[in-house]
Amino acid sequence: MVMEINTSEMKRVQLFEVIGRIDSTNAAELGSALDRSVDEGRNNLVLDLGGVEYMSSAGLREMVRILKRVKRGGGDLRIANPSDRVKEVLELAGLDSIFEIYPTQVEAVGSF
Amino acid sequence: MGEVSRLAIPARLEEVRHACDFVVEVAEAANLDERAVYHCQMAVDETITNIIEHGYGYEGGDSQIEIICRTENDHFLITITDDSPAFNPLEHEAPDPSEPLDTREPGGWGIYFIRKLMDDVTYDRVNNRNQLTLAKRLPAAAPLMAESGAEAEELFPTQALNGDAAAVFPAGRLDSNTSVMLEKTLNIQLQQGHVWLFVDMSQVEYIASSGLKVLVAAWRRAQGQAGDVILSSLQPRIVEIFEMVGFDMLFQIFPDLDAALAAQSKRT
Repeated sequence: MVMEINTSEMKRVQLFEVIGRIDSTNAAELGSALDRSVDEGRNNLVLDLGGVEYMSSAGLREMVRILKRVKRGGGDLRIANPSDRVKEVLELAGLDSIFEIYPTQVEAVGSF
Repeated sequence: MGEVSRLAIPARLEEVRHACDFVVEVAEAANLDERAVYHCQMAVDETITNIIEHGYGYEGGDSQIEIICRTENDHFLITITDDSPAFNPLEHEAPDPSEPLDTREPGGWGIYFIRKLMDDVTYDRVNNRNQLTLAKRLPAAAPLMAESGAEAEELFPTQALNGDAAAVFPAGRLDSNTSVMLEKTLNIQLQQGHVWLFVDMSQVEYIASSGLKVLVAAWRRAQGQAGDVILSSLQPRIVEIFEMVGFDMLFQIFPDLDAALAAQSKRT
């Protein structure tokens, strides 16, 4: 398994911890995991990228798509713990001004 | 001229990872640092994924995509060749990273990243094949290029200090336009291993949130490499902004650069 997603239901937030590598072969899988939560009316999402060693633009595409969806529902998708490299990629795409990014999972969850 | 490494993969998405692994291995052997290796991996991933999705429309059949790596002069070169219909990605308009969310299309970022991550990208159509060559400067060449390259005038003045420290002198208004310049300046210093950055703010008249963000990003990066970003000579207006956003708690701030340097030399 190249990518693993662990989901935890918290009081106000749905937390997704991703481990591994996100690229064009599995980004859709990440997207559908997040979609399922939005389908159930849970629009406050935290995506913990602490375990993600690599992410291509396919992953960013899914993140932007989901962010648009949850914003329409009055929620937010917030990022926790990205590696320096992933953070750099988010910055290059100008996504650091669109996503709220937190250094730790606790801060991201607590921000809701 | 270094040695040449070659790999061919079937034009299918699930094969792209092998190309990534291959490039990572060869780039590491060519002494690129972890960051540059990541950039090469991502540029290759984006290039090949685009070829398979758009060039072959996910139906590559028996087609092979060839990846050739070599070092030439100061560059690590990756040449990617495929026999899909002629397509020059460099002719395509790049998306705008400053675009707000509501008008943003989720995709179209592959080519943008390829160009951003690599130092040079060239396209050729050779024998009815697309040939894209990605170039990454080798580490020894990078600082030289930063000083003498076309972007030199877009950096703030810096001064190398002892060992792994440097002073940076931003000036004027640090708003969304000029913050990029500060970011570049700080990043180049960090890349060169100057993880102790003394940012003298005496000439800074105003700082917008984009400027604050750049300082925090550099601070995080420096801390991650056992360094720090240390500020000095803040004008009263800047102090006010810093206090408002709580940055006075985050950064070490000194009345002037000498005091900052003196405090640091005492600690080490």
